[in-house]
Amino acid sequence: MIQTIDAPISVITAYNHLTSQFIPVKLKWHSREYTIITIGFHHHYRQGRTLFHVFSVATEEMFFRLELDTETLMWRVTEIADDLPN
Amino acid sequence: MIFQTKLDFTQAPGTIMHIDLNSCFATIEQQANPLLRGRPIAVAAYDSPNGCIVAPSIEAKQLGVKVGMRVREGKLLCPGLQVLPPDPVKYRIVHLKLKKLLQDYTQQVFPRSIDEFELDLAGYPAYTRGMMVVGREIKQRIKAEIGDHLTVSIGIGPNRFLAKTASNLKKPDGLEEINRENYQAIYQQLVPTDLTGIAGRNTRRLNLVGIQSVWDMYTAPFAHLWTAFHSIGAYYWCLRLRGFEIDEVEWGRKSFGNSYALPIAYDKPEDLSPILTKLVEKTGYRLRHHHYACRGIHYAVSFRDGDFWHQGQKTKDLLFSSREIYQKIHQLFIRCPYQKPVRNMAVSVFNLSPKDDLQLDLFGGTIKKENLYLALDEATRRWGRFAVTPARMMGTDNNVVDRIAFGGVKEVEDFITQ
Repeated sequence: MIQTIDAPISVITAYNHLTSQFIPVKLKWHSREYTIITIGFHHHYRQGRTLFHVFSVATEEMFFRLELDTETLMWRVTEIADDLPN
Repeated sequence: MIFQTKLDFTQAPGTIMHIDLNSCFATIEQQANPLLRGRPIAVAAYDSPNGCIVAPSIEAKQLGVKVGMRVREGKLLCPGLQVLPPDPVKYRIVHLKLKKLLQDYTQQVFPRSIDEFELDLAGYPAYTRGMMVVGREIKQRIKAEIGDHLTVSIGIGPNRFLAKTASNLKKPDGLEEINRENYQAIYQQLVPTDLTGIAGRNTRRLNLVGIQSVWDMYTAPFAHLWTAFHSIGAYYWCLRLRGFEIDEVEWGRKSFGNSYALPIAYDKPEDLSPILTKLVEKTGYRLRHHHYACRGIHYAVSFRDGDFWHQGQKTKDLLFSSREIYQKIHQLFIRCPYQKPVRNMAVSVFNLSPKDDLQLDLFGGTIKKENLYLALDEATRRWGRFAVTPARMMGTDNNVVDRIAFGGVKEVEDFITQ
């Protein structure tokens, strides 16, 4: 089931200076910690001058769409899904 | 015009490649969310029962779900169908990544829609490696560099039309070529509706002159094709099927427009007017962003009962401000004689001229108005779309949302960089 939300979220990220890769590796949602297994897609968009990076990530049983506001450096979760159909 | 109709299949080599991203929106959603892979899903304009399915996944297509079906029909065919709303930003990013990748092979890359590209490799070093080799490499690179779940169907041919036809021969994940050696075998397998541009009416015309297959169409005397089409179109089909290029046309910008399919069947002017305002604001911003002004406006409305009404008008003055455009279009809006539930509203502006051609007027304050709109557009660039809006637009937050236009890819970059 897919749920659209908009809430702050805690995210642990990693940056590799050799590959210039910046990725979320873990997140904490509703007091539970999830390890990110797959980054399905990474894209960005602008709202006015503010750049947002969007990471569509999957843990073992959940999907999260995470958005990083590059102006405030705040993470928000905008979509959550489990693997059950709506 | 002299029609040269006694032609063989062209001797020209297959240098055109047509690339089609399979089930584009649905596959991109499955790319983003791995939990959706292998499942029947569909991207629909709205997820309500009457919403129109714009992209079923490969799995949903195998169960009979088709583009254009209502969500209700899709769920009847496939009860587990997962319906998702469109995410245009994601699709545009994939389009731009794909375009960038393809430009490594040739600078002659022509986007035909959000999920289709044409490449002309003639004269480029990549061509010497062989079109099939390049095709296979493109497929591998898409998986490695853009998304491991994304597949494309690639067609190769001596002209754009045959390259597209070849890309339709095997879906998903095809790589096919139509050339001098195999065209007969392929044409014998195809019926006219397999060709882009031939639908029911043209098929009936062709059937009337005894043409049942594409091979019949190829071998038919030109007089038969002329009898079927009664236009220059007959000659174009003759050339297309023989591999000659007649579709190399790049259309310039002639108009700007926005339309909206209403999820709720409003019929009262007070409900429709804010939506009209938002459509005009979007159109006006795009017009100015591309440094144009216009001398023509158009309003069209289609109703739930199938009726349609539209009116256009040329204007004496060059228009560039959303306010002026709104005033003119609103005059057309109130002229509409019908008041019944609306399905779709569309506004557009035409007769474009570069905005630099603005005539200064003695009393109208053109410069003042232009400066005001420069400031408003600057606020939009800083704070995002609809940072400053007319009060008339209140309550339209969820209306006229961002959508991918069918076929139109002229402004994909703008959406991402703004």
